[in-house]
Amino acid sequence: MISTVTTMLTCHWSARRIQRYLDADPSAPLEPAEIRRLEDHLATCVKCSAAAEEFRGLARMMARWSQRRAPDPAIAARIMMACEALLTEDDA
Amino acid sequence: MRRRPGKGARQSPGFLGMTSAAAIGTAERQRAFHAYVEPEIDVLLRVAQTLTGSWSDSEDLVQDTLIRAYRAIDRFDGAHPRAWLLTILRHTHLNSIRRQRPDLAREGMDLATQRPAFGAARTAASAEETVTDRLLDDDVESAVASLDPRFRTVLLLIDVEQLTYAEAAELLGLPLGTVMSRLSRARDRVRTQLRAQPRLRRQP
Repeated sequence: MISTVTTMLTCHWSARRIQRYLDADPSAPLEPAEIRRLEDHLATCVKCSAAAEEFRGLARMMARWSQRRAPDPAIAARIMMACEALLTEDDA
Repeated sequence: MRRRPGKGARQSPGFLGMTSAAAIGTAERQRAFHAYVEPEIDVLLRVAQTLTGSWSDSEDLVQDTLIRAYRAIDRFDGAHPRAWLLTILRHTHLNSIRRQRPDLAREGMDLATQRPAFGAARTAASAEETVTDRLLDDDVESAVASLDPRFRTVLLLIDVEQLTYAEAAELLGLPLGTVMSRLSRARDRVRTQLRAQPRLRRQP
């Protein structure tokens, strides 16, 4: 009973940190101790490790979306021409 | 087309941080523009498309942003070019909304509540992309499209355009914690929705 409650508390604790753990964003890093505790939990908890796997899959799909969404090369070319004009103008 | 000035090209990109308050010369400004601004143009275009919902609006927005960045470049310390440019993009975007839609304009308007348009930018799938991948991609896109715009914008900026939490916060003028909680809720919803809609039940 006590161990079930402890696991549930750890699941709750982990759920609040799992995305920050996977993102490893420089603006909001986890403490080394938090990372250790989270990794220990993910190694043993089926539910939380499945959630982590789903977030990883979602991240891959979103990254693939990024590749489909490249700007039209004509737009990029016009922007670069405008930049050249901007810099040349300043020379005059 | 003009050639880049060769003189001083060996200077490190951090040199601007050491200049005095005096205005720097044209050659230095051009070099700073090449070093700090040009590498970010692709990201600026993508982010502008996410905010405006259209590539042609994003082109105008990025052009205006670049002009302002060039004018302000001698006051830039060289530390975080992307964050600096995103801030200029944000102000430029808010100004253009105020100009075009005075009815919507108000101080401190939350950019993240703007509703970007979707679906216009799909390009043809590559040959090696599998049918399963395409179905999944469609599911993800419709799940994301159904999100509240405040959540959707944060999700797109961070997961699709790969901005950091801090860059997205800067761009949207929101506290970091707000960005993180919107991101987390957006992902939870997309994840739940993908579970709730088995691919086999999709309409053709």
